[in-house]
Amino acid sequence: MSYQLTIEPLGEVIEVEEDQKLLDAALRAGIWLPYACNHGVCGSCKIQVLEGEVEHNEASGFALMDMERDEGKTLACCATLSSDVVIEADIEEEDDALNLSVDDYSGTVVKIENLTPTIMGIWLEVPGEGVEFQAGQYLNLHIPGLEDPRAFSIANSPSEPNLIELNIRHVEGGQATTYLHQQLVVGDELTFTAPLGRFFVRKSAPEPMIFLAGGSGLSSPKSMILDLLEEGDEREITLVYGARCRSELYYYDLFTELSEKYKNFHYVAALSEPNEDDEWKGSCCFVHQLAEQHFGKNFEGYKAYMCGPPLMIDGCITALMQGRLFEDHIFMENFFTAADSAKPARRSALFKKF
Amino acid sequence: MTTKAKRLNMNQKYQLMTRGLDWETTYQDMDDVFPYDKYEGIKIKDWDKWQDPFRLTVDAYWKYQSEKERKLYAILDSVAQNNSQLSISDARYMNAVKIWMQGVTPLEYNAFRGFCTLGRGFRGAGARVACQFQAIDEMRHHQTQIHAFSHYNKFFNGMNQQSRIRDRAWYLSIPKSYFEDAMTAGPFEFITAISFSFEYVLTNLLFMPFVSGAAYNGDLATTTFGFSAQSDESRHMTLGLEIIKFMLEQHEDNVPIIQGWLDKWFWRGYRLLGLVGTMMDYMLPKKVMSWRQAWEIYWEENGVALFNDLARYGIKMPKHHETATKEKNRITHEFWSTIYQFSHATALYTWIPGNEELDWLSAEYGELFDTVYRPRYEYWKELDDKGERFFQERLPVVCNVCQIPIFHTMPDDPLKNCCLVSEYKGTKHQMCSEGCLDIFNNEPEKYCQAYIPPQQIYQGNCGGATLDDYRKWLHIRDEDTGEYYGSEDHQMWEKWKAQAGKPTDEAA
Repeated sequence: MSYQLTIEPLGEVIEVEEDQKLLDAALRAGIWLPYACNHGVCGSCKIQVLEGEVEHNEASGFALMDMERDEGKTLACCATLSSDVVIEADIEEEDDALNLSVDDYSGTVVKIENLTPTIMGIWLEVPGEGVEFQAGQYLNLHIPGLEDPRAFSIANSPSEPNLIELNIRHVEGGQATTYLHQQLVVGDELTFTAPLGRFFVRKSAPEPMIFLAGGSGLSSPKSMILDLLEEGDEREITLVYGARCRSELYYYDLFTELSEKYKNFHYVAALSEPNEDDEWKGSCCFVHQLAEQHFGKNFEGYKAYMCGPPLMIDGCITALMQGRLFEDHIFMENFFTAADSAKPARRSALFKKF
Repeated sequence: MTTKAKRLNMNQKYQLMTRGLDWETTYQDMDDVFPYDKYEGIKIKDWDKWQDPFRLTVDAYWKYQSEKERKLYAILDSVAQNNSQLSISDARYMNAVKIWMQGVTPLEYNAFRGFCTLGRGFRGAGARVACQFQAIDEMRHHQTQIHAFSHYNKFFNGMNQQSRIRDRAWYLSIPKSYFEDAMTAGPFEFITAISFSFEYVLTNLLFMPFVSGAAYNGDLATTTFGFSAQSDESRHMTLGLEIIKFMLEQHEDNVPIIQGWLDKWFWRGYRLLGLVGTMMDYMLPKKVMSWRQAWEIYWEENGVALFNDLARYGIKMPKHHETATKEKNRITHEFWSTIYQFSHATALYTWIPGNEELDWLSAEYGELFDTVYRPRYEYWKELDDKGERFFQERLPVVCNVCQIPIFHTMPDDPLKNCCLVSEYKGTKHQMCSEGCLDIFNNEPEKYCQAYIPPQQIYQGNCGGATLDDYRKWLHIRDEDTGEYYGSEDHQMWEKWKAQAGKPTDEAA
């Protein structure tokens, strides 16, 4: 049995199991709420219940006082739900979030293309009004024969709501990606839920932008950059992209052309392990090193958007911070996989997003 | 999709309510109005980037705090009315309360003083207001601790001269010097030392042992105080995190300065916590966990995770952390052995742990305990049984920085005493460790002025040059000191236990 929890002011709706602590559910869904002690004595995670019923459980009488209980306050780290609940938490609302409603869609596979030896592109045609999404968001794709859907970032611009592009890397031994790579054919129908996620461009922020992407993490940045350029955005936009070798470096021609067409768009790419016959004249390093080279280890005054494998993200966060760009200006999608929630990395409360 | 008017979030509401309450002075230079927030070298480009960690109005603050007080004092009243001193695990437990009351409670008062200074000293209004709130919290903690402990003062020795021994007792210069060191630094170092290093990094190693220790040992008054304070501590921890991020993000030149402070205050905090660990391992009749275990959880796991995150800013692990971890199996035994020999010069009792407790220590600390410390305790027990309870006749040499007696051993040799000397302006200064030596050598002009109680006592500045003279000056009585077994606290406890279950007319 589970209940729906709506988290204001974000308007995000998540599922909470009957005996699951509200804070736990929010963090697992990638929504950061303030907290500290995590066992009901400090009061850092106090929230306002706007609708519905919660149990306060072991919340200390000093951290959550009677008058606060009367006012509808509760501690997220201890509270469980007794009905569907709406809460208001002390989190920032993003002015640039479109907060689009989520819906279920069905699309027909109209094109399949091998972008690299390991990454395939799938184009899904969605009839009618198509899928309204914000560049950077993802969808949950239902794979025939698998119970749980898989998340894939949308790679096309929001200006093409009827033709959804996904770039899918084949994960060795992964059921979903193996199916998609080996069995999917043009003409198949796929259903999905979209749009999801809170990764989007802070368009109201005046700063120039850096997009950092590695491997198949190019989807969201591609969508975001196409969207910005189509809108005639005049801020400086730089895409820093890294792949293992030349054959894995995809959409090279597309971004090279874009950088020639738009004078405010810059594209730099590097290979981490080029093959001898790659004839690569560019940089041979990781994404964060390429970014450091390109920006002279100084990222102050930018907004950075990142997408890629965990090691790349980790390297980039450190590089950005040591180049004086901090948490408030760094954005990424937090995917919480089943493996993540089983074994959480030990982190301190220093950062909210990382 | 329907669109609704956007709700203001809590931060926006707070911003709207508080913005513009501060101003740039024009009659006087801002540097003259805030003369202390630049000389440490910390560069702040934009105080508006400060994220207020509390977001409290004075109105809400009073409302919450007064409700907490009502709850706390209702329980303190019931502790008094129900003779709850009878519910504690054993009268030896009271020594943990004495350590807190003598050593920690005055720190709360000094924290109050320090945060009052900061509440005036920072140029940023948000930081000033946060410090002002914290100052009031600290005063509340000081007062409520005294009130929580005062019931025990009716029955147990060693608690009746709190403010006097705070100023005069040689061994209380250990905690006192920690705060006085911070208070005589600049505002940014103070807040790094207290809000970050102490309240955030090391707080669990202070709070958990005392409050859980109180709960395990039937001390309802202290436990309730602990819960009441912990709801304030979360704000203090948030302030600690906020200030460190703020300084690190404001200017890259701040990073090496902060690294130096983290090195220093990690080591000072760790040295101070040795006293707390000793309390955990020796003064709690019912154990919560050993110091070793607490160190592993709260430092080796949580503390290291924090420093891994700080590494993103270019901050390295605090200097000498390896030494602290090497000492985890011995520091509390070395400390207890020292207090045992000097408790006739303190308002505390000490004793040799019973066999079950020695077995617990053996299990927690293994071979080193069995080969080095247990035989020492057994030897002292033999002497005590012969009526020759061992006390040192003279006060010890103490470290010029942490003020702890120089009993610590070499990082890699638990049988070799560590005493390091630095010569400054023709005077030799002794330190207990590389950590304290570094601190001294970084600021010799500061530490060469430290008030070192044993030296002052032997110079005759504390009532006379003998221990008897000194005890009189300290206003502690013979009954407050020395061996626990046979003490007034012990005798009274035995009498209470013998009365338990007898008809009330006999139990007068």
